[in-house]
Amino acid sequence: MTFNIIGSILPEVTIAVAICIVILVNSLLRNASVTLIHSLVLFFLSFALFLSFVSLELPDSNIFDGHYVIDAFGTNLKIIALIAAILVHLGSFKSKQNIKNEIFLIQLFATLGVMILCSAHNLLTIYLGLETLTLSMYGIVASNRNSIEATESAMKFFILGAIASAIFLYGVSILYGVTGTLSLDLIKDSILLDTLEMRIAVAFMACGIIFKFGAFPFHSWVPDSYQGSNTTAAIYISSVPKIGAFALISRLFLDSMNTMSDFWSILILSAGLLSIIIGNLIALVQMNFRRMLAYSAIGHIGFILLSFSIVNTDGIGASMTYLIMYLIMTIAAFALIESIASEDHQHIELGDLKGLSKSHPLIAFMLLFCMFSMVGIPPFIGFYAKWIVLSELVNNGMIWFALIGIIMSVIAAYYYLRVVWFMYFENNDQAIGNNGILNAQSITSIMVSAMLLLIGLYPNPIIQYIRSIISSFLLID
Amino acid sequence: MILDLMIWSPVIVGLILLLIGKNATSLSYWLSLTTSLLVFGMSMYALSMFKTDQVGIQFELIAPWIERFNINYHLGIDGISFPLILLTTFITPIVILTARTSNKINLHQYLASFMILEGLMIGVFSSLDAFLFYVFWEAMLIPMFIIIGIWGGENRVYATIKFFLYTFLGSVFMLIAIIYLYISTGSYSIFDFYNLDLSRMEQILIFLAFLFAFAVKIPMWPVHTWLPDAHVEAPTGGSVILAAILLKMGGYGLLRFSLPITPAASNELSMLMVVLSLIAIIYIGMVALSQTDMKKLIAYSSVAHMGFVTLGTFVVFLNHENASIENMNIAISGAMIQMISHGLISGALFLCIGVMYDRIHSREINDYGGVALAMPRFAGLMVFFALANAALPGTSGFVGEVLIILASLKVNFWIALLSGTTLVIGAAYTLWMIKRVIFGSITNEKISNVQDTTAVEFISLIILAFMVLALGVYPEPLMKLMYITLNDLSQLVFAGVGL
Repeated sequence: MTFNIIGSILPEVTIAVAICIVILVNSLLRNASVTLIHSLVLFFLSFALFLSFVSLELPDSNIFDGHYVIDAFGTNLKIIALIAAILVHLGSFKSKQNIKNEIFLIQLFATLGVMILCSAHNLLTIYLGLETLTLSMYGIVASNRNSIEATESAMKFFILGAIASAIFLYGVSILYGVTGTLSLDLIKDSILLDTLEMRIAVAFMACGIIFKFGAFPFHSWVPDSYQGSNTTAAIYISSVPKIGAFALISRLFLDSMNTMSDFWSILILSAGLLSIIIGNLIALVQMNFRRMLAYSAIGHIGFILLSFSIVNTDGIGASMTYLIMYLIMTIAAFALIESIASEDHQHIELGDLKGLSKSHPLIAFMLLFCMFSMVGIPPFIGFYAKWIVLSELVNNGMIWFALIGIIMSVIAAYYYLRVVWFMYFENNDQAIGNNGILNAQSITSIMVSAMLLLIGLYPNPIIQYIRSIISSFLLID
Repeated sequence: MILDLMIWSPVIVGLILLLIGKNATSLSYWLSLTTSLLVFGMSMYALSMFKTDQVGIQFELIAPWIERFNINYHLGIDGISFPLILLTTFITPIVILTARTSNKINLHQYLASFMILEGLMIGVFSSLDAFLFYVFWEAMLIPMFIIIGIWGGENRVYATIKFFLYTFLGSVFMLIAIIYLYISTGSYSIFDFYNLDLSRMEQILIFLAFLFAFAVKIPMWPVHTWLPDAHVEAPTGGSVILAAILLKMGGYGLLRFSLPITPAASNELSMLMVVLSLIAIIYIGMVALSQTDMKKLIAYSSVAHMGFVTLGTFVVFLNHENASIENMNIAISGAMIQMISHGLISGALFLCIGVMYDRIHSREINDYGGVALAMPRFAGLMVFFALANAALPGTSGFVGEVLIILASLKVNFWIALLSGTTLVIGAAYTLWMIKRVIFGSITNEKISNVQDTTAVEFISLIILAFMVLALGVYPEPLMKLMYITLNDLSQLVFAGVGL
């Protein structure tokens, strides 16, 4: 019995073991090189990924008295999270850069939090996963200890995050008061009446979820923490935690509180719509590259939430497709920028990109892929993401929201095109950054960007894969 | 299979050119020239295999692409798309051939953009799946954006972003319409859209959504303002492709999507379309008259000439009593011939301006005068193209316009008369420009020292001149190529309108 339980959570156990080993290595070998730690982390992440693939074969089961559920949906999300974490590690690693070893450790903690969220099936476990993730994210943002900006943004993030967690917890306690249970299974079975208390509980929990996504109106931490921290941190917080947030909203709202979907879908819909509008409009005036990407991420998250609010298999599938495409695009963009940023030049302003096509032709070309993908121009994956969401919106009679979304993406095209404009249409004698030596990091960034085109040319497998995940998730219930 | 090759070989060669890098300028020039000539050869081969007496799609190719949404990689050509593909494969080698005449930075990237663009343009004309069509249609923006942005003139960034945002805004409405049609039919196949029974309101909204995309591309008044900017700033090759082929995609879209999918709406909104076309023909013609920049003048003249295409497409619906399939055939063959002929003539005129610009570095009409004395060979060709632009009988410009005016005459005398004014206005702005630029005495001393056309320039212009003349004197083969398909389209549309 015990063995079976351990057997089904082996990926999580692997990450936990990795955390212990990294702590030990760090404290025993005072001068442990970054490369060593990095290889260890990479090995354990890959091993956990392998184990997750193996555990796809396991039958669905509830363990720890229904606190934890092993199903295809959760395991697939873990696989996606682990792949994202591996790409983030590869894409942010720079041998010469003076990275503190702790950041890898904290990232492992955050990844563990995301994995717990993927499987949590009780509000207590959910909160456990959520806080493991959130606390690690504060650490990640603050890891750039010598920078005042990083400390400031970590402080802001911490205060806002604490408030959001408190609100979420308050919502949970109200829900507990109404239903008398914390188990998602029981909540699902109990007949939820659309009362005022329930609405307050749902609204409070929605605040916590929207905060985790970094969508309007709880988006203010996003630009600060992207800009303040170093790129290694930014690339992580922009990607992996969103998978946790997606798992949370699917398990909590979609699965267990489906009877309340009329109410929460409106909350999610308005948050999504306003994120698209606000994020893209504010991004127009940003001249710092990471800050611009932060606002653009708010816009992308808006699309994810917008299609989530459709609340049917196709809508959720579209939402998840967008999420995965967003992860690839954002990791590619950050990794490319990271690969040209030198140690003393972490804050890349858009003006610094001038003449990049001359100094780093390959990186510039790949960044061009990223930008056109984010605009939503085929054949890059960003187009398929937008098209699937629009398709489902039109299909469900929400054509006006589709029109707003698409007009905002035309407006957004301007600031993405500005990056291409600076890279290709302007000249600059003093090009920034290193000499474009090919290392593991730039190779990863180039490979991920090439995926933007390759998946775009034949998106069939990924669309089928997501559909199978979502339909298995909604069939079980 | 041959369509596959025609689309993907230039794209792949384009990507290879990007990888070869800047050290192999000469190699990339010859590689792209060879490829574009090979693609032209393939299109000639396809022409020899094309059956002009057969209704429907030929060289059809279908393979599943995104199964979940019933999207297929579906290619094929008929009498509407094939002439435009021939135009594409004919113009591109000329553009590549002349790419080297002016010194360009990163020539390999320039050539690569044109190669990728060529593949995508052929893709637009040959896709029979609306989704695939949209993918090619939008993807085309990327190389064009780069071409104007990198190798353009002083104000290139403004022009290229304006071009991109205008076209992008137009096409997103088309995307919504395509998605709506998919939801109604469960398929992205264009021919499934034809059989759809849409209500009046649906038809009008879908028509307008498509019109938004096509009107920007054609461009129709009042969404034409990106064109003069883009033309003025684009490098010569970019202007040629823009005028010769990109603008034709709007006209192609009207024939492929608007007319057959929403015939009732086309009928109902024909008045709007005809009025907009007449405004383009007359008002924009007047605007062209007052231009001092040669490229701008030709750009406005393009808008005016494309006005004939939209006029020919919609004029027949105005008068139901005289409406007949024969008249519709005349009108839309006129529109098709006008597109091909304008592609050749405006492309040639932009090449001519490029020839002068490379020598004098000015596009202002006032900086010129007496070019005929310094460059007699060139002057002869330019005068010929200018006359063709003014629709001189015997040139291809005449055939299209006369067919459309003839068709309009059966509909309404006044429309025919108003559209006929183009023969006067067109002659006025083109010949007045020629008078100031080519003839007269040399006022700018730079002109007296210039060389006449080089062999490459002369050959490309001569080939174009030959085609303009051939189509003007004997348009029969082109008409035959299109006839069956256009007749089929007319019948479909007439049945849809209920005439």
